Amino acid sequence: MAALALRHDGPDTAAVSGPRRRALGLTAALVLLLVLVVLSVMIGSTTIAPTVVWDALVHPAADIDQFAIRDYRLPRTAVGLVVGMALGVAGALIQAVTRNPLADPGIFGVHAGASFAVTVAVGVFGVSGVAGYMWFAFAGALAVTLLVLALGSTRRGRSPVVMVLAGVCVGAVLGGARDGLQLTDPDAFDAMRSWVAGSLVGRPLDVVWPVLPLFAIALVLAFAVTGPLNAMALGDDLAKSHGVRLVRTRVLAVAALTLLAGGATAIAGPIGFVGLMVPHVARWLVGPDQRWIFAYSVLLAPSLLLAADILGRIVMRPSEIPVGIVTAFVGAPVLLALVRRKKASGL
Amino acid sequence: MSLIPNRSRAAALAAGLLGTVLALTACGSGDDATESDVETHTVQADNGAVEVPVDPQRVVTIGNTTLPFIDMGGEPVAVTEVSESERALIPEAQQAVYEGAAVLASSADQVDMEELASLEPDLILAQFPASEFEPLQEQLETIAPTVFWGLDVEWKALADGLGEAGAVSDALDEQKAAFDERIAGMQATYAEVIAGTSFVNVDRWASSDAGTFSISDFGCVEIAQGDLGMDFPQAAEGEDPLGWTSLPFEQIAGLSEYDVITYPVDAEGNPTEAFAPVVETNTWQALPAVGSGHALGLFCPGNNSYGSVLQYLDSLEAALATLPTE
Repeated sequence: MAALALRHDGPDTAAVSGPRRRALGLTAALVLLLVLVVLSVMIGSTTIAPTVVWDALVHPAADIDQFAIRDYRLPRTAVGLVVGMALGVAGALIQAVTRNPLADPGIFGVHAGASFAVTVAVGVFGVSGVAGYMWFAFAGALAVTLLVLALGSTRRGRSPVVMVLAGVCVGAVLGGARDGLQLTDPDAFDAMRSWVAGSLVGRPLDVVWPVLPLFAIALVLAFAVTGPLNAMALGDDLAKSHGVRLVRTRVLAVAALTLLAGGATAIAGPIGFVGLMVPHVARWLVGPDQRWIFAYSVLLAPSLLLAADILGRIVMRPSEIPVGIVTAFVGAPVLLALVRRKKASGL
Repeated sequence: MSLIPNRSRAAALAAGLLGTVLALTACGSGDDATESDVETHTVQADNGAVEVPVDPQRVVTIGNTTLPFIDMGGEPVAVTEVSESERALIPEAQQAVYEGAAVLASSADQVDMEELASLEPDLILAQFPASEFEPLQEQLETIAPTVFWGLDVEWKALADGLGEAGAVSDALDEQKAAFDERIAGMQATYAEVIAGTSFVNVDRWASSDAGTFSISDFGCVEIAQGDLGMDFPQAAEGEDPLGWTSLPFEQIAGLSEYDVITYPVDAEGNPTEAFAPVVETNTWQALPAVGSGHALGLFCPGNNSYGSVLQYLDSLEAALATLPTE
């Protein structure tokens, strides 16, 4: 597969490098992520001395500042790590499956399905709190993806183009239904406002543990299909001639991205641009080999999310800006600059 | 050739027809008495001087006037909707009055003018955003004398206006006397506490973002601050209210600098559903004020009528009684 991938490296890929440089880059990405994890624990909307942060981790005591570290910043950092990884890999998957470098996990209606389900949970069933409606979000994302898969199936199998169109259509319908429900029940809209904005605040680790096994399965599936996805980037016929089972690969990839994007959306709400931008940057750095793209996305996406969250904590002190708004503000111009580059990365 | 586009002409025609229907409906009131038979007086409101009946019999309340009017003993024939959570906080007798009225719509801008006209009101009492009143003013005033206040009117001024226009001044005077007496009594009894204690009022609402709370300077705390003279943090002149800023839970630790914390509770004295997540945090439990019993739960059923404010003062007085007087 590596040979296939290298053959596809061309002038439209800006910064393809050798395996050693890719590995070095991966190490640098890991170091960056570790630095951001430390900063995420150190920096908040209140100033807490580094010694207190250290004590909170090493010498835990019933100290009011230590509680701030252990109860808020650590869980928030962990949620950022998990959600970021999930969004990054989901983005890489969707771009590989659709062969569209500007595809986003939301294109299959994941965000629309999750948002609609949360609106129903809050407005109809009176569910409150992230822990309460995250399962509705997850179920909504799964149900919509299955619907999109069914609608996207043709006699010749599942076409990426038809699936994307089905996703856009279903997303539009559910978006309208969600807006209609929210208009009739403003209280429900108020209750889910922060979830809609996409935020890492107020998400205890309790909401992450149940999703972790699903994420682990999805990550295994995602890395398992990187080889076949490399072959499929050259075209279905060529991939088939190399023994790739197209339908199975696409189903596994869509299942993995649904678990990842659905779970991430359920925990933090719809967060845009991370799943779109990070795989795009990764492809620009390492070329079209999905194995490297996925590996880079696993590290770069949580880095982006944590950096955006840290920024959101300090720019409007003592208040905060939800991370979903920061990623949109920062991500949109960055992405625009990237796609306008002369050597924009392609698939 | 007309310069008015077809759509504009159609809209103008429709508006004219609606106005005519409303006028005819209003003129066609079943009462045989003519306008001159009804004794009237003039009241001042945000929409100017309004001629209203001295003894209105069919009052409609729109927007924020419903609960204050009912609190003064008024019995509207129709109202705009009051949320279930707000209704749950008022006495049962007042809930019964509300349920006896026709509910016109969820808000002022949703009111069906034909339905309103068919109720043949002789007075409309309204408080909602002035920007929403402007397009409705002509239609409302065609149906019945309409007394309107915008949202920036102070609650005591609104109560005075409602009492005068709605002919419920006697009940209002009793409530005002009870309020003044209670304020004077509390100021005398708790003079030292009021003078020497730094308070902070914290709140959280159903609409608050997860993991956030607010230091609130509006609502019932305005009574404690403005009428009793208690020392609560408040926004600087010209700035947005403090309560508009959502603070992440890690800033609960900052409440340590205050002597006494007040927070919202329900009628049974339990933290309100929205505020409960704050009380459950380790940070809240570690606050000095909480550990020493200086975190006071206060019941605030509303801050726009004397009845509900008196209930708040009951709750506040009971809480202040638990503090040392030194």
